[in-house]
Amino acid sequence: MLEIKNLCAAVENKEILKGVNLNVKPGEVHAIMGRNGSGKTTLANLIAGKNSYPVTSGEIRYKGNNITDSSPEERALNGIFLSFQYPVVIPGVNTTYFLKEALNAKRRNRGEDEINAADFMRLIKGKLKEVDLDETYLKRSVNDGFSGGEKKRNEILQMLILEPELAVLDETDSGLDIDALKTIAHGINQYRRKDRAIILITHYQRLLKYTVPDYVHVLMDGKIVKSGGKELALELEEKGYSWLE
Amino acid sequence: MKYLQHQFQALLDHWQDERKEIRSLRKTAFDRFNQLGIPTKKWEEWRFTDFSEFKKNEYRLAWGDDLQEIPKHIPGLIPDTHSIIIINGHYQPQLTKLPAGVSVKSHEEFFQFNRDVYSLNGNKNPFLALNTALMNSGIALVVEPDSIIENPIQVIYLTTALSDQLMNHPRIVLKIRINSQATLIEHYIGETKIPYFVNPVTQVSIDENASLNHIRIQEEDVSCCHTATTNYILKNDARLNTTSFSSGAKLFRHDIKLNFAGDGGEAIFNGLCLTKDHQHHDQHVIVDHQQNFCRSRQLFKYILAEKSSGVFNGKVVVRKNTKQTDADQSNRNLLLSPSAMMNANPQLEILADDVKCSHGSTTGELDDEALFYLQTRGIDSETAKSLLIYGFANEIIERVKPESVQDYIQNRFTDWLS
Repeated sequence: MLEIKNLCAAVENKEILKGVNLNVKPGEVHAIMGRNGSGKTTLANLIAGKNSYPVTSGEIRYKGNNITDSSPEERALNGIFLSFQYPVVIPGVNTTYFLKEALNAKRRNRGEDEINAADFMRLIKGKLKEVDLDETYLKRSVNDGFSGGEKKRNEILQMLILEPELAVLDETDSGLDIDALKTIAHGINQYRRKDRAIILITHYQRLLKYTVPDYVHVLMDGKIVKSGGKELALELEEKGYSWLE
Repeated sequence: MKYLQHQFQALLDHWQDERKEIRSLRKTAFDRFNQLGIPTKKWEEWRFTDFSEFKKNEYRLAWGDDLQEIPKHIPGLIPDTHSIIIINGHYQPQLTKLPAGVSVKSHEEFFQFNRDVYSLNGNKNPFLALNTALMNSGIALVVEPDSIIENPIQVIYLTTALSDQLMNHPRIVLKIRINSQATLIEHYIGETKIPYFVNPVTQVSIDENASLNHIRIQEEDVSCCHTATTNYILKNDARLNTTSFSSGAKLFRHDIKLNFAGDGGEAIFNGLCLTKDHQHHDQHVIVDHQQNFCRSRQLFKYILAEKSSGVFNGKVVVRKNTKQTDADQSNRNLLLSPSAMMNANPQLEILADDVKCSHGSTTGELDDEALFYLQTRGIDSETAKSLLIYGFANEIIERVKPESVQDYIQNRFTDWLS
């Protein structure tokens, strides 16, 4: 589904990614772990299409196509979703309106009719329960005045509504108390399916207890320095990262 | 500017039977205007606004025969309002529908018992002096005591089908008497490509425990120069909620001054300026906390496209020995083009101790991270930009009441955006 080949990226002559390789197949959950500043968020943003990090070499292929130069919206419409580490506040834009606009962009792209108001409310109310948010969130501006935990749950809510095929979750577990973490993990597990893939970016292994990955990769100084199964996360928990340097 | 002298004389000749106190007021005001002159960039309070183009034009005062016939379609009418229509400076009583509790008076009648409303009071604004000298249109509205006026009163000041370069100096006087409540929409619209000049002065007084919702919509044609003065006086426990929406005129300058003349008053200002092409919008706001326990809030936003420019100069004054003032002033500006320009100058002048005051101003472009966020949700970049601009404006628009007016402004904003 996703193939990243020798991906290098730099910002203002500073290399952030120095040749990342990653291969993700449908049904798989990959965890990418690493310290702050190792390049995790840059990698997530590049998969989603952020153009402020120029790719200097290598490529990103998705469903067999080279998408290295595609716009973020093209990627989104083709099934890539990024859950932001710091979801952006958009004052004045109502959450319902935003969610509906996003869903309809997808439906139009698939040649379907826009969803009607009643069906949309039915859909959204069901999904709100999954992430334990109440309906008052819908009336507020996007992420405006939301607590850290609410913002993360709002990201998972969007994932459940938009039903992407590849979800990249950037530190969706950081800054959460244990109840919120369980809610997030529940949302992710609801989403997990044989035909969908997930990349979990985290620097704690806490989430991985609830959403068990198939593979764990360690990103260090812009490169994947070690890959393994789920037991690698436990090893990292125990020993930290310095033994890999 | 000799033509103004001629116009002034023509007005005096035309209205020879006007009360002599008004004639002498006009003369004093015209002398004041001549002493002051048209502002130049050397004037501290005017330095970002350029009147050199304006000075090149000559305008003639509008007379009765400048309106050949009433247009079939009056633009800007908002549903469920009591409308007062003034076309090319001429009040159309036959088109006016007013509810019980509201009376319309001519300035001549109103002046008799309310001379202070017309007094210059040492004001240094030449356009206020010019208006006082040349007042040739407008209306005085009184909301009687204990009257709750449910539907808004909409004053449409329309300039249309001109054959000459005209000017009008409307004077709008609004008095909300004790315990009353009303909404006034002061609405300027232009439908002509001929250059024209509108120089209104609006004097609002809100008596004890009365409340006014004042919405000002300025959508003149870009051939217009619109210089406006609005003065508010709030007595004890008076409440004011204002919205100022402006998208028209090549050059727009608005001087707003509010005096809390009694304890316990509250004033809320919301403003949205939209400019494009070479438009220039300048708003100067002074909120003067002269009494105790008063609260003021200001949120002025500008969206500036292309080569347009804006000025926001806001000042909150808290007088000596006043108690428990609560004031906040905020100005936020969105630049949609690298050639657009904004000058912001928020100021506080606090001479008392017992105060809670804050102010701030920000100017920026569309947030790249927010654009990226929307795009990752499948929203294309053009729609995403519109959505962010819409969101920026919506913080003001969603505060507008009643809903019929909010819808009107919403639609005008959507038109502007496309």
